[in-house]
Amino acid sequence: MNSINKIPVIEEKRTNPLARVFDEFVRFCRSRSLFILHYCTGCGAIELPPAMTSRFDMERLGIQPMVSPRQADILLITGYVSIKTLKRVILTYEQMGSPKYVIGICSCTVNGGMYWQSYATAKKLDEYMPVDLYIAGCMPRPEAVLAGLQKLMDRIHSGEANSWEDYFRNYDYYLGNQQKLFGENWQTPTDIITEAKHYDLIGEGTLGKHTQILEQHQKPLEALDMRLGHDLKEPTE
Amino acid sequence: MTLTPLDELFLYSGITVLVALLLGRRLPAGWMVTILYGIQLLALMKMAPLGYGGEPISSALTFEVMGQSLSWRFDALSWYFALITLGSALLSSWYACGEWEQRFRQSGGNLWLFHLAMTLNVFSMLILLASGDLLSLFIGWELVSWAGFLLMAMAGGVATKAAMRYITYAMAGAMAIFGGIALVYVSAGSLQYEAILTAASQMSTAHLWMLVILFGAGFGIKMGLMPFHLWQAPAYAETPGPGSAFLGAISSRMGLFAILLVLVKLFGIVNIDSLKIPFTLIDARDLLAWIAVFTIIFPTFTAMKQNDARQLLAWHGIGQGGYMLLGLVVADAMGAAGGLLHVFNHATYQAALFMAVTAVIHRTGTADLNKLGGLVVRMPLTFMVLLVGIIGLAGLPPMNGFVSKWLVYRSLLNEGMPLLFVAAVIGTLGTILSVYKLIHNIFLGQLRVEHDNVKEAPWSMMIPMLILTAIIFITGLLPGIPLAWVASVQQAVGLPVPDYTLGGVESASGSLDMIWVIGVLFAGFGIGALIFYFAGGRSKRVHQLDNYAGGHFLTADVRYQYSDNFYAGLMHLIGGWYRGSFLWLEQSVKSLVEFLSLGMQGLYRRANAEFYLLSTALFVIAWVVI
Repeated sequence: MNSINKIPVIEEKRTNPLARVFDEFVRFCRSRSLFILHYCTGCGAIELPPAMTSRFDMERLGIQPMVSPRQADILLITGYVSIKTLKRVILTYEQMGSPKYVIGICSCTVNGGMYWQSYATAKKLDEYMPVDLYIAGCMPRPEAVLAGLQKLMDRIHSGEANSWEDYFRNYDYYLGNQQKLFGENWQTPTDIITEAKHYDLIGEGTLGKHTQILEQHQKPLEALDMRLGHDLKEPTE
Repeated sequence: MTLTPLDELFLYSGITVLVALLLGRRLPAGWMVTILYGIQLLALMKMAPLGYGGEPISSALTFEVMGQSLSWRFDALSWYFALITLGSALLSSWYACGEWEQRFRQSGGNLWLFHLAMTLNVFSMLILLASGDLLSLFIGWELVSWAGFLLMAMAGGVATKAAMRYITYAMAGAMAIFGGIALVYVSAGSLQYEAILTAASQMSTAHLWMLVILFGAGFGIKMGLMPFHLWQAPAYAETPGPGSAFLGAISSRMGLFAILLVLVKLFGIVNIDSLKIPFTLIDARDLLAWIAVFTIIFPTFTAMKQNDARQLLAWHGIGQGGYMLLGLVVADAMGAAGGLLHVFNHATYQAALFMAVTAVIHRTGTADLNKLGGLVVRMPLTFMVLLVGIIGLAGLPPMNGFVSKWLVYRSLLNEGMPLLFVAAVIGTLGTILSVYKLIHNIFLGQLRVEHDNVKEAPWSMMIPMLILTAIIFITGLLPGIPLAWVASVQQAVGLPVPDYTLGGVESASGSLDMIWVIGVLFAGFGIGALIFYFAGGRSKRVHQLDNYAGGHFLTADVRYQYSDNFYAGLMHLIGGWYRGSFLWLEQSVKSLVEFLSLGMQGLYRRANAEFYLLSTALFVIAWVVI
């Protein structure tokens, strides 16, 4: 969380007088149409059904579940993250389209909680990916979950919830922590550096010694090209 | 004696058969035959006025056999079916005569027999379509049956078994038709159409019942009507690729042609309507309508369970025949137009679908829906052909299948037949589900490692498919083109004619204008595209292994496309209803025949002349007395 404050804020000059109105409108819409991908890792998941269904009804806030990361806005991690699970969580996080937000529910995501002494549990989630919001408690009640979600909505509306940019700007730091846990051969299908270039979010911390290690063994996954194939060469075998 | 245009057509068709017979072993035989189909189509075009209400054209050829004159002539009905026959023959043969042919020869197929069987099929179908009396109809019918058998049986193995099953059914049907013809001769004293027309109105109810049952069953077998549908799917699916495209497009429609000619034109739908079934509220016409509807539902839901793409399509061919018959049995202007138009539409998309599936087999070597997937990136044009085809088959705009099915539905509603309507819609639901399975399991999802180097189908196969695709779309946009032919067919068989326009039909109870429908549809796409590209048009292509599977890391050796037991949830609900009752019925008839023949064998194995004489004499006496 500390690193968020380090992000240099670049004030762009907007010449269009309607630009601020438009920006405000976009942020308003963004904050009121949120799709959650809930990655239910632990016991906190049990508090989500009441939050979703008729008693607390998070859909009245414009929040509803989504089945795939490509269309989701919020990644909800509900409990302790074992090292095996963490790999999947990172894969899923990287597959989400920006802007994306991460919420850690339960004490386990904050500091490991009751699994503090476990050798197989990642203690602090925000060492591996930027977390926008923690909802602490063991476990937090649905009211707390909803209050947290509302807090996130406010932060999106005010433009403060931009920690996803931090993942691109300080990729080397996060990758270093990931490599420390998973070994140096660690690789996900998503090419974060290319994406950082795409979003124009290359910062000082994007590249470093950890990304160099990654580049040495990275096998890029190129998208399948649509081809008619008439000019295709026969396989040489 | 001068040659009429019909004689010219027969001449060219006969020449095509001769060319296939004599020169079929030489290499460019496929091209020669294809060009000759084109010439036949041109000869048919010389008779194009028939399609717009022209006078029937007779052949100069007539025979006199035992006091019966045999004649051949073409009217609007024959012309319409001949157009579909020759069109599908031309395109299937074109499709066959490039790379497919070489591969077929290399893998040990008999190309000479294939071309010969195709040309014989076309020739015999033209003879059937031109029949000018019931005797020539029967001759044409037998020719078509045997020519079809030749094409179905040529692949050997499973195909021969399926073809034997077909010919057993077909011969039973031919016997029924022959019995019907004999009955007609007894009551009308002649086999000429005019004589039957006048005699039909004076026939007794029992007599008419017999005729409807005999002819209905005989022609229904060729059409694959319930409960005679079991032969069709395996027989068509096992035929070599372009052959199954041709058979699927037109072959079983010969049954519909004959039903139209005999039941609708000669006996009259009004006469059939007057045949009440005692102690029930329904008559023979309702019975036909319900048979048609069950023919839609059962084969369609059977198609959904198939795991072989060709079997799936062949089962749909049976189901779609039900829509045609249903429209004709409703027999108002819109319904009959819908039923007849569906013959044309079905031929176009069914041929395209069989061709697309054959192209996939040509490239990957399998039509097993559990062994394919993701081919859209390797065969995008074939994907497009299949997509257009299944939209047509499912009866969705903007393709032509929508128009004919809309007409049938509309007529069912107009005529106050809501139960039949609901049943037909259930059939469409099954169609949509199963064609989604078809396109998903072949083209969408994960590309297999072994298909990474698959190429698009060769152009010799692609061009006929693209032509069919264009026809499917154009006749969907401007259904007035085929509706003009359909209208003259309706006139020729004495059915009411709808008020058609270029874009559809005009009616007080609801019009259809496809130009508007498609215009609005594409405007919707256009607005969506504008918004997308105006907002930057940003998209990102990702590798198929960069996919979400609950967070798992995907590798090429692990299959994550699910294709087996595709509609598991639905099958959980309706799976218990698949009981194979018709297979059981077929089996029990077979056992009965085997049992009887065993008994007969026991009788004549007893080499006892006196016993034979006695039993024959007893039989004759009993016959005379009764």
